Amino acid sequence: MNIKVAYSTKEKVEDIAEEIGKSLEGFDAKTVIFFASSKFDADAISFAMQKTFGDIPAFGCTTSGEIVSGHMLNQSVVAMAMNSRIIEDMDIQILQNIHEDPKGAVAGAFKAFEQKFGEPMADMDFQKYVGIILIDGLQGAEEQLMEKIGDLTNVTFIGGSAGDDLKFLKTHVFAQGKAHSNAALLVLIKAATTFDFIKTQSFAVSDKTLVATSVDPAKREVLEFNHQPAVEAYAQAVGVSVENVADVFMSNPVGLMMGDEPYVRSPQRTEGQGIVFYCNLLEGMELAVLRSEDIVRDTKIALGKKQEELGAISGIINFHCILRTLELKNKNQLDDYGKIFSSVPTVGFSTYGEEYVGHINQTATMLVFK
Amino acid sequence: MAGQVKKMLDQIILKKSNGNTVIMSTTKTKLILKGLNPDKFTALSEDNADIIKKVREVAAEMGVAV
Repeated sequence: MNIKVAYSTKEKVEDIAEEIGKSLEGFDAKTVIFFASSKFDADAISFAMQKTFGDIPAFGCTTSGEIVSGHMLNQSVVAMAMNSRIIEDMDIQILQNIHEDPKGAVAGAFKAFEQKFGEPMADMDFQKYVGIILIDGLQGAEEQLMEKIGDLTNVTFIGGSAGDDLKFLKTHVFAQGKAHSNAALLVLIKAATTFDFIKTQSFAVSDKTLVATSVDPAKREVLEFNHQPAVEAYAQAVGVSVENVADVFMSNPVGLMMGDEPYVRSPQRTEGQGIVFYCNLLEGMELAVLRSEDIVRDTKIALGKKQEELGAISGIINFHCILRTLELKNKNQLDDYGKIFSSVPTVGFSTYGEEYVGHINQTATMLVFK
Repeated sequence: MAGQVKKMLDQIILKKSNGNTVIMSTTKTKLILKGLNPDKFTALSEDNADIIKKVREVAAEMGVAV
């Protein structure tokens, strides 16, 4: 076994770190990634986890729910340890002040990666290297961070925006025994094994389209679709009254289409006649109206397909949108979803946004190690 | 003049990917996320100075000469 997972639902930070440490005792870990409910003192959990694992880098973030093989949890800590058969080498960079200067922060981290690995990020083999990105989920910096990363390298960075159990007050990323806000982690891994990705959003694409004709990207707001007030045009496209649009936001987000594949943009709330989204939309973007399907069924299919492609899977890190978690909860399917991952070492968390090539919503992005 | 935007976007994809089909696809996705969908332009698309300026800026950000 090259990847091992553990979790704890204890109340005290010290007890949690001890329980997880014991579960992973004897495993020759190269790194530990962990996701912790925001109910715990962020500095204390980061310190306790790093202390437990000593020189082994332990990193992660706060959540709005945790995922571990077989279970969808709340108010817990989940952890995954990976050994040198999974990770040949790695480096963790903490990006500070991402709200003020996201692009500068990426450039700085990439310089450090280049020094560590001895080759330009632009030249790194995207089949040998993979990146994990964890971001403070309340800074609105995801688009700029992902765009800068994509400009500078062909290496895929996958990850999620940290949560805080739907309080929307403060989220943290964890590294070097500390908790960081207004920050992101970039983790560059030189993999010792094959890796791949699952991106699944469980939506059917309708034939209704909306073109963003007036936007405020900084506020992630669309003022007009199809030269009409956004609320009005969206209501017409979905087939509901203007008064009831918010009721269908979760089941009918919109998708920026890459061939047959939607990159989901989820409406958050109305703002007058405009609609604020969970990620930005640019003027001229053409979007398909989406219709929600069965998340459990869709995820089973996606995982089965990946297992077939890779032959076997050693472990999965699942960055799972909180809106999907809420939908599963509404449909009483949380247990069914957790069970999909029973036989595969898996950790993950319910995010405030998912990252894969860009910033997306209502999606599960998964890093899969063979 | 027509077709300049399509030509420039295709050059970005080709140069960024060195012909690797996976990277070609990813680069196309990155361009679409930046609001430049290569499929929306053809050899007959009218050259628009503002769009050409934007494509040049994107190419520079991606480290590609067009």
